[in-house]
Amino acid sequence: MPALRELQSAMGNALLGGAAMEHMPESLLLDIHRNTSLGTLSNALSLTFPAIRRLVGAGFFETAAQEFIRSHPPARAYLNDYGREFPAFLAQFPHAAGLAYLADVARLEWAVNCALHAPDAVPLDLAALGALAALAPAQMAAVRFVPHPAVCTLRLDTPADAIWRAVLEQDDAAMRSINPAAGPAWLLIERTTLGIQVRRMERMAWAFTQRLFAGEPLQAALDGEGLDALLADHLASGRFTGIAQ
Amino acid sequence: MLEPFDIKRQAGPIPAAAGIGLRFPHHEQVLHTHPEVPWFEVHAENYFGGGAARRTLEAVRRDYPLSLHGVGLSLGSAEGLDPMHLQRLAELTQAIEPGLVSEHLSWSISGGRYFADLLPLPMTEEALEVVCCHVQQTQERLKRPILLENPSTYLQFRHSCIPEWEFLAAVAARTGCGILCDLNNIFVSAGNHGWDPLTYLHALPERSIGELHLAGHATRTLENGRVVRIDNHGSRVAAEVWTLYEEALRRFGARPTLIEWDTDIPAFEVLQDQAAEATDRARAA
Repeated sequence: MPALRELQSAMGNALLGGAAMEHMPESLLLDIHRNTSLGTLSNALSLTFPAIRRLVGAGFFETAAQEFIRSHPPARAYLNDYGREFPAFLAQFPHAAGLAYLADVARLEWAVNCALHAPDAVPLDLAALGALAALAPAQMAAVRFVPHPAVCTLRLDTPADAIWRAVLEQDDAAMRSINPAAGPAWLLIERTTLGIQVRRMERMAWAFTQRLFAGEPLQAALDGEGLDALLADHLASGRFTGIAQ
Repeated sequence: MLEPFDIKRQAGPIPAAAGIGLRFPHHEQVLHTHPEVPWFEVHAENYFGGGAARRTLEAVRRDYPLSLHGVGLSLGSAEGLDPMHLQRLAELTQAIEPGLVSEHLSWSISGGRYFADLLPLPMTEEALEVVCCHVQQTQERLKRPILLENPSTYLQFRHSCIPEWEFLAAVAARTGCGILCDLNNIFVSAGNHGWDPLTYLHALPERSIGELHLAGHATRTLENGRVVRIDNHGSRVAAEVWTLYEEALRRFGARPTLIEWDTDIPAFEVLQDQAAEATDRARAA
């Protein structure tokens, strides 16, 4: 009689397509669980990567998803957090590796998914901003910001944001007008009361934002024209939740 | 030590009436039309994050009694509970203050891999120890008793030595948890294993029964000709399961009862119709 831990390990291996196991009940019955398991996980991926599914078609997506599930099963029972490695997996997946924009669209969809499901957090309030304004210049230069968990930056080599939008809106005219070589795209992705916003930024503004989100002190990040106004916009839009000095 | 679950004391936040399992396709309708439903139950994991999903849950919680039904804690995992998962469940429970919290007699995680299915346990002393330990750990973390749901199973292990109904009753007795009695699951498992559903029902401790579940199932013929009942929550409640529900009402009395539907989710009105049928049968019983 196998101990529970060994039994579960062997059954898990069998579900992911490994060898049949000793003490294992009928394989046809195990197939019922395998179908549920793969079906649920594949569905979770298609909810997170809807544009990829439309771009490659349901059949191809299913094949890629099943291979991904077998090589990268989720580590936790929180499926809104499943698929982080899927963009990198697609980048090297045979028959898809030639489409450079495909992995970029997947990276964007992952960023959108993270913004969608990120925990709630309270943005910096007016009192905190007032205290910030009262700082001496030297102190101000050392300020670091804590970004809101539902905000991020992303740089893509291809115009994958335009492709993503056209695919999800099923806008064929927009799709035809995209030049796949017209990259890179510097993006800001955030959750607002209106939903998820994905918008392009100028390269300098993006680099400044990206450094701030990475926790660099304001002085180091603030290296260019017009960035004061951008910082004001970040603060007013609630993209930071805390200040560290 | 927590007070054990006892329906005589716990009755209250979730009424002994027919509620509905709330799923994403019906969020907008429920928020905007505010249908007459005695209570709702949701899958806890769908609300671990923030944003729109959490806002919806908070709005539903303001207007209806709410029960949290976990599907991913994996109480039967030999390797122990995922502390992060338990933490998220505890945070959600604290924020939402649900009337009931429930989980399953099953496992879903092994070797740090989550299989996204409620997998069957061997009914052994070792598994009983593991489940009791994890139910206790969960109850201590949540600071409240939970309900444990009987599984639907297709396969059995040759070394199982405890009838499932005795296993459930033992977990309730040792940990003080309540039992979520899923009548469709009893019917599915009984058919698949040749058990008598009434024996199962009558072996459960009456005062531990905190909730009843009703759902539809499918019947499939395998390649080897064997007919298996599959618990897919994809159709109306079967006639035999309604009969079993009436038996449960006679044995346990009125209990919070839930209509579940998870595949090919129909119009909300179909679920209301099923809930109305449960209410009618409860009145008649």
